[in-house]
Amino acid sequence: MNKVSFEIKQGIKAHCIKTDSYKTDITCVIITTPLKRETVTKNALIPFMLRRGSNNFPSLYLINREMENMYGASFNCGIDKMGDNVVLKFYIESISNEYALNNENILRRNLESLLDIVFNPIQKNGLLNEEFLQTEKDNLRKVIESKIDDKDLYSFDACIAAMYGDDKFGLYKYGYVEDIEKIDIKNISEYYNFLIQNSKIDIFISGNIDEKEAKDFLNENENIKKLKPRTENYILNNEFTESKQIVENIKEVSEKMDVTQGKLVIGLDISSNIDNLQATGLVYNAILGDGANSMMFQNVREKASLAYSAKSTFVKQKMNVFIRCGIQIENYQKAVDLIKVQLDNIKNGKFEEDDIQNAKTYLISGIRNIEEEQDTEVVYYIGQEISKTNMSPDEYIEKIEKVSKEDIVNLANSVSINTIYFLRN
Amino acid sequence: MQIVENSKIKEKLFIEKLSNGINVMILPKKTRKKYIVWSANFGSIDNKFYAPGEDVLTTVPDGIAHYLEHKMFEQENRKNSLDVLTSLGVEANAYTTNDHTAFLFECTENFDEALDEFMNYMQNPYFTDDNVEKERGIIEQEIMMYDDYPEWSIYMNAMRCMYKANEMNIDVAGSKESISKIDKEQLYKVYDAFYRPDNMIIVLCGNFEPKEALEKIKQKMTLEPYEEETRRVYNKEPDEINQKYIEKEMNISMPSVIIGYKDNDLKSDKVKKDIAIDILGTLLFGKSSDFFKNLYECGKIFSEPIINYEFSKTYAHVLIQLQTNYVEDVLNIANSQIENLKQNGINDEDFQIAKKKVYGNIVKDYNDVSTIATGIVSDYFKGINSFDYFEEFNSLNKEYVEKILKETFVEDRKVISVIKPISDKKD
Repeated sequence: MNKVSFEIKQGIKAHCIKTDSYKTDITCVIITTPLKRETVTKNALIPFMLRRGSNNFPSLYLINREMENMYGASFNCGIDKMGDNVVLKFYIESISNEYALNNENILRRNLESLLDIVFNPIQKNGLLNEEFLQTEKDNLRKVIESKIDDKDLYSFDACIAAMYGDDKFGLYKYGYVEDIEKIDIKNISEYYNFLIQNSKIDIFISGNIDEKEAKDFLNENENIKKLKPRTENYILNNEFTESKQIVENIKEVSEKMDVTQGKLVIGLDISSNIDNLQATGLVYNAILGDGANSMMFQNVREKASLAYSAKSTFVKQKMNVFIRCGIQIENYQKAVDLIKVQLDNIKNGKFEEDDIQNAKTYLISGIRNIEEEQDTEVVYYIGQEISKTNMSPDEYIEKIEKVSKEDIVNLANSVSINTIYFLRN
Repeated sequence: MQIVENSKIKEKLFIEKLSNGINVMILPKKTRKKYIVWSANFGSIDNKFYAPGEDVLTTVPDGIAHYLEHKMFEQENRKNSLDVLTSLGVEANAYTTNDHTAFLFECTENFDEALDEFMNYMQNPYFTDDNVEKERGIIEQEIMMYDDYPEWSIYMNAMRCMYKANEMNIDVAGSKESISKIDKEQLYKVYDAFYRPDNMIIVLCGNFEPKEALEKIKQKMTLEPYEEETRRVYNKEPDEINQKYIEKEMNISMPSVIIGYKDNDLKSDKVKKDIAIDILGTLLFGKSSDFFKNLYECGKIFSEPIINYEFSKTYAHVLIQLQTNYVEDVLNIANSQIENLKQNGINDEDFQIAKKKVYGNIVKDYNDVSTIATGIVSDYFKGINSFDYFEEFNSLNKEYVEKILKETFVEDRKVISVIKPISDKKD
């Protein structure tokens, strides 16, 4: 493993992934905080406010100009839902110093800019810049409203919301339009300062930089110096924390929109407590619907020609599987029945050693790729850090290899359909 | 093997034309990944041709290149090669564009076994009435899925505005109606006409020793050279655009706009022009442009417009895509932004910074084995060499970029395609 992690202060860690295999470097700041109905929209607004300008780059224009001058470095921020937490991501990707035309230390300069944008916003009397607020509230509203644009993701989110309701994992990561008007410069500034001083913070650097250099740089950085030690305050989700009760009645939700193709999403609960649960869940999901050899692809797409896209997704933090396919609207019942047959077949052990082997090979080759793709590697270690699993890709592979047919059947028998969601016209 | 080296990006490309006429290119990289793509110069625009040895024109249904892509995985032993490759732990896929069809796989292990399967299915198609019929439902669903993608609708509408006759106005997958006419005889016919060595390229990128990799390909190559040519026929496209404006309503949250400029100059140096248009995109609409700054601050746009120069041997155009609730305003401001730059010329400092940005983006393209390999393929069919981007970059000056601005961003070759949210209907 080429990753070294060290604590800068209590609750603030740095993770250095030393590599010279890429033409680019990535620097990334991650802030993790629990998902709550009352703060979800404010969380989403924070990146919008911060990217408008910091003390060293007091306008959007100056940030963008600096990025262009650093050979088109891309600065971006985003919001991810990870189990019951929300993760605020700020990152810069740029070409490595080696390819600079004028010998600039691009990596160092970008890291400095990034820390300035996140931790050193323009503030007067403890208040963020009010001039930015209205535009950014409007922008956030547009982003929330744009969730209907991607029907596939929209249906996926809608199924999760139907399963989990108005709390934690059920929340929409960008928040809710009705909250936006209640946000003013005072409460958003207070929230920002609270977030920065009380959340778990992780800084990831992937590039040709060693531990000592990174440590020295971060310890001397003025913006890091201002941060206080804190106790990590977030919700740990992993295979041991999630237990589910089997739902008695399947929820069926159907929603109408002007679409050509119907989107079917079936949310499944896993309520098993076998050993090696997460790895077994991955193998189960791969047999069911991840990859070209899966039952969904072979039986729903290839044999029945019901869909072009037919797959399933395993959400390991919450121990759920979501079956997703795009079908002709009149084929709804046919598709649901056929999917139920697939679920029963796994329960009854009606699959071959070959299917298990295919699933494992597929998963393992995906894991081997982690260390060959810079952004995938960073995302992998973010996930590991937040679930406190700290597994190397090799250890991960070992766990997958251990999964037996008995494990899969055991897990399959704990699976129940929670919700069937259908987007139709 | 011919070796082309680029010292700036520190990469070497190994090239060899095999005895049957197929080109093989290998770019070794320090990674565990191995990536191979095999591509035929046959895409959705190729719908009329004289098959080798025939003097009767063959016209095929729209979407046949894409249909053929789906069916290439079928094997005589009833196995599907995609399944076989997936079982080996390699990630296999295929795609069709307007001018080529590509088949690929990527892996960290089992390359040799996968290569056997890969080269076998590429050289031995097996179509039956049943397996062709079975695919129709799947492709229909794929077409319907695209119908719901706003970005695809707006793009196709822009093409229909721009081109009267040019085959760019055909949807890559065809339509439900056109694919209903595709049968196994037609698939064999287009396979024979276009999947021929002199019309294909194989590109490898990743953990390869070039000589050894080339040897493996040679051993498994069974395609014979072709004596006679396939002659393609394209419609004659007039210089002028087809229609100025088109709009469509869809279930989306905010209007999307494409501003397109048809470029009739298919002769001049494409690489240089591509870089120039990238620079112009940055200067006119990039994140540090006046356009972006002003419209962002008054809340009229939110994300950076995307500027693309798309070209191949039979077409060229610039596309500027953005989202806004203030379509008319933003279109007017975009126009005056272009006219102002034409009149005032480019500021030196802006030019240098835009150039740095474009350079950085070209460097970034050499990070990932799949981006590199598929980039080499699409450049090859455009008739250009990927490394030329670095050569041309050096010689590019402000005057040339200003000239391209004046020649390409011309009002009467401009089209507008808009997708709007569905307006409320009162019952």
